[in-house]
Amino acid sequence: MRIGRTMRAATLATAALAAPALARGQLGVQRQRNAPSVYAITNAKIITVSGAPIERGTVVVRDGVIAAVGAAVQAPADARVIDGAGLTVYPGLIDANSSVGIGAVAAPAAAGGAARGGGGGGGRAGGPQQQVAATAPNSLHPVGLQPEVSTVDFLSADAEALSGPHSAGITTVLSIPSSGIFLGLSAVVNLGGSNAQAMVVKAPIAEHIGFTVSRGGGYPNSLLGVFSALRQTLIDAQHYGAEQAAYAKNPRGMRRPEPDPSLEALQPVLSRQIPVVMEAGLEREIERALDLAKEFNLRVIIAGGEEADKVAARLKAENVPVLISMNYPRRPQASADADPEPLRVLRARVEAPNLAGKLQAAGVKFAFTDGGLTTWTDFLPNVGRAVESGLTADQAVRALTLGAAEILGVGDRLGSIEQGKVANLTVTRGDLFAGRVSQLFIDGNAVEIRAPANTATSAANGAWTITVTLDEGEKPVTLNLQQAGEQLRGTIQGALGSSQISNGSIGPTGDVQFTATVTMNAGTEEARFTGTINANVIRGTVAIVGHPQGTFLGTKPDAAQGAGRGGRGRPPAR
Amino acid sequence: MRSYGILACVVAASVARAQQPVAKTAGPTLIKNATVLTVTKGTLQNTDVLLQNGKIAQIGKNLTATAGAQVIDATGKYVMPGIIDPHSHTMADAINEGSLSVTSMVRIRDVLNPTDINIYRQLAGGVTTINVLHGSANTIGGQNAVVKLKYGREADEMLFPGAMPGIKFALGENVTQKNGQQAAQAQGRQLRYPATRMGQEEVLRDAFTRARDYKASLDEYKAKVAKGDKAAIAPARNLELEPLVEVLEGKRFVHAHSYRADEMLMLLNVAKEFGFTVKTLQHGLEGYKIASEIQQAGTGLSSFADEWSYKIEAYDAIPYNVPILLQHGVVATINSDSDERARRLNIDAAKLVRYGGLSDDDALKTITYNGAVQLGVQDKVGSIEIGKDADVVIWSGHPLSVYSSAETTFIDGEIFFDQKKDLAARDQMAKERAALEAADRGRRAIVP
Repeated sequence: MRIGRTMRAATLATAALAAPALARGQLGVQRQRNAPSVYAITNAKIITVSGAPIERGTVVVRDGVIAAVGAAVQAPADARVIDGAGLTVYPGLIDANSSVGIGAVAAPAAAGGAARGGGGGGGRAGGPQQQVAATAPNSLHPVGLQPEVSTVDFLSADAEALSGPHSAGITTVLSIPSSGIFLGLSAVVNLGGSNAQAMVVKAPIAEHIGFTVSRGGGYPNSLLGVFSALRQTLIDAQHYGAEQAAYAKNPRGMRRPEPDPSLEALQPVLSRQIPVVMEAGLEREIERALDLAKEFNLRVIIAGGEEADKVAARLKAENVPVLISMNYPRRPQASADADPEPLRVLRARVEAPNLAGKLQAAGVKFAFTDGGLTTWTDFLPNVGRAVESGLTADQAVRALTLGAAEILGVGDRLGSIEQGKVANLTVTRGDLFAGRVSQLFIDGNAVEIRAPANTATSAANGAWTITVTLDEGEKPVTLNLQQAGEQLRGTIQGALGSSQISNGSIGPTGDVQFTATVTMNAGTEEARFTGTINANVIRGTVAIVGHPQGTFLGTKPDAAQGAGRGGRGRPPAR
Repeated sequence: MRSYGILACVVAASVARAQQPVAKTAGPTLIKNATVLTVTKGTLQNTDVLLQNGKIAQIGKNLTATAGAQVIDATGKYVMPGIIDPHSHTMADAINEGSLSVTSMVRIRDVLNPTDINIYRQLAGGVTTINVLHGSANTIGGQNAVVKLKYGREADEMLFPGAMPGIKFALGENVTQKNGQQAAQAQGRQLRYPATRMGQEEVLRDAFTRARDYKASLDEYKAKVAKGDKAAIAPARNLELEPLVEVLEGKRFVHAHSYRADEMLMLLNVAKEFGFTVKTLQHGLEGYKIASEIQQAGTGLSSFADEWSYKIEAYDAIPYNVPILLQHGVVATINSDSDERARRLNIDAAKLVRYGGLSDDDALKTITYNGAVQLGVQDKVGSIEIGKDADVVIWSGHPLSVYSSAETTFIDGEIFFDQKKDLAARDQMAKERAALEAADRGRRAIVP
């Protein structure tokens, strides 16, 4: 009964997250009336992380703060009591590097691109639709090279986007836009709040550097240019700092230095006040990142770290933590006569779960990240695989909670169940890796976990309207797809004739392939389609025996993705 | 679940063995009774070579092995210096930063990939040193990296110690991008300047004029500091112009991709005007037309043996190019510009015996000693002489024969390729593959 009322209150709280700003005031009042601010979870197993596990005890949450925890704690009279028999309570899990919580900056651009792309055909061949880099206003530097971009300006409390991480027990992420060279200043963010700004726990946490060029031409367009652009920007920032210091000492007699928000944003980085998170997975990528950090004496954290075990000695010696991606490599769908995979690809896939244990043994600090995985129900099982491969469960839980909080500089307020800390809790039925996440508490608000609307398992489903551009011209077709796990089935109909598709597959990042028989001028041929699905846009290339490579681009009708994305409040860029 | 864990451990152990770096044969090696092709000091029959402390320590007959030396019986085999490839794009994760006409700030060093399997394959072709260059997408490209092919080591350990830094220039069709221009216009992308050879000359003049001005501001600052001026502020560092200043000061070699005689002369003239020497012209397939001018400029040339007509500017290529240049006193080499050709540079050198009648030694010099000169490391590598680095290769037969293969490749006295060990390793790799595939399949599928 009591649990039922909690559920209703939680449902209202969740609904409030997605409400447009105008209605916020009214719903806020209602929320205050219906949502309890005091909870007590009794009779539960409690993993505090900061101390020994409590086999059977009580956690009291009051006004967003952990009020009490212990075996002998009594539920206060005004508490909504939750019977914790069979439940385990952990500190809220932390995803230490993610673009969850960032509003869909790309959405307007993608819609425009799809409309133009259909007619323009060939030029822009398939490749994953990258999120357009978040941009700062009035920047003197090009998009992607604006270190002043601040995550807090792009947060969105969209409930649907948060349901995936919620189902994986995640209450908190280190949030950062996902594209660009300088990605911007990240923020530790709770995945829930009455509005986007309420989600922010602390900002800025770190400056982030990805080493991938964004599209759109211009310098840099290669990894070579990426490093040089980074180096020159950091050198310019050093010079800027020196100029500003000289001017501050004596403004008279020297030309007023030009303000530059980008170089200004790098000053705390150069002075080691905030660290730099560098995305690097391969051994040489990690070495390069560490070399760059050393060149400018930066405090560095590695994100991704797939081959970090090969650099463990250096990471330990230089005191560099690693944010390990839980997006383990997957076996690709290959046809029977495909070449065998190279040994290093096999090794990487087989060895992936061993990484955390190796770093633990080498004394390297680490936390876990989603690494861009879209199937959120894989997150905890993948951590579980690390536990099977040399990491103890306790060490894994610590890395998911207090360890992550300490690396991110919020260990004083998050990451353990201790009196006075933020009331973020992950409640599971059974053990974390074997059981099921049943409930979360975020800033003391209860969030019920339903079976997730797992968009990744249905990303391909639907009727796609596609234009295939070939040497014989533009061919409109309809592609009906059904997705079952990683397999794709369906039919293709229209200007290329009708046929069933075969050998169809879709990967976790939306990469699709399938074969179909198509009718060309000279007769029927086998065509192999390779591309990516992003939201309701599909694009890619098609290889047809005896013809030059063609491209295709199409859309399906919008499912639940509405145009009004909650709390972003900013008009589309173009 | 547990049995899967044990299998994972077995796999991990065998994987760890396979991934161990090549064992350091830091100890001395005595190569006995070989035909030694010194390249610079003639050919020695039935001669021993002692490698010690990373150097060629002794060359002679019936040498006694130092204590602990590995002895290799090379009876019937040939020993020659490691091949030097002056134009390579191996082991780089990016080759071109072509977005701008001048990208002198980019560095191959930033993108080196020491795990590239092509390194190993080139060791199997007898190559020990390569000049990893930026591509030919733009008039002024990026900084190079001279590298010893120490496969299994980290990038830092592979850099050739003390090699003069270099930079890549490019002239001609690759830079005008005639093929790319139509596509760019179709996609509505802006064309990158220059689209003509005359534009390439202007880019050079403009860049070096800016570099000259930057150098002047640097010199002015240094002079102020020397006079004790405390208030002097150093000019902001400009990573694009710094390497060009180094070129002006003779501290950085220019390696310029070029084909046509007129564009090569243009470059030599511009260089003279700004007071520097172009170290090498790369490809230079029309070099034979201006051999005297190239020699007078003090410039070297690195070419192909018999590549021809794959583009318009290669139409006038002849296989006698290198011999003619050598006759005129130009330091000339053969390069690969290709992972694939790099494995058989010995055959390309052999073609010069056929086309041009070069002596064996002169042909071998085009893939060894002359390359060392072009990279400024001729006192360290490029021939078998006492005191030079122990970068040598044992061949099954004469290296200019199509039937010969490299059996053992030494760099700094360590073996980085051994044909016998390579063959033996294949069984082990097959076993490792089987174990990995079993572990991979045994894993429960991750499907929600």
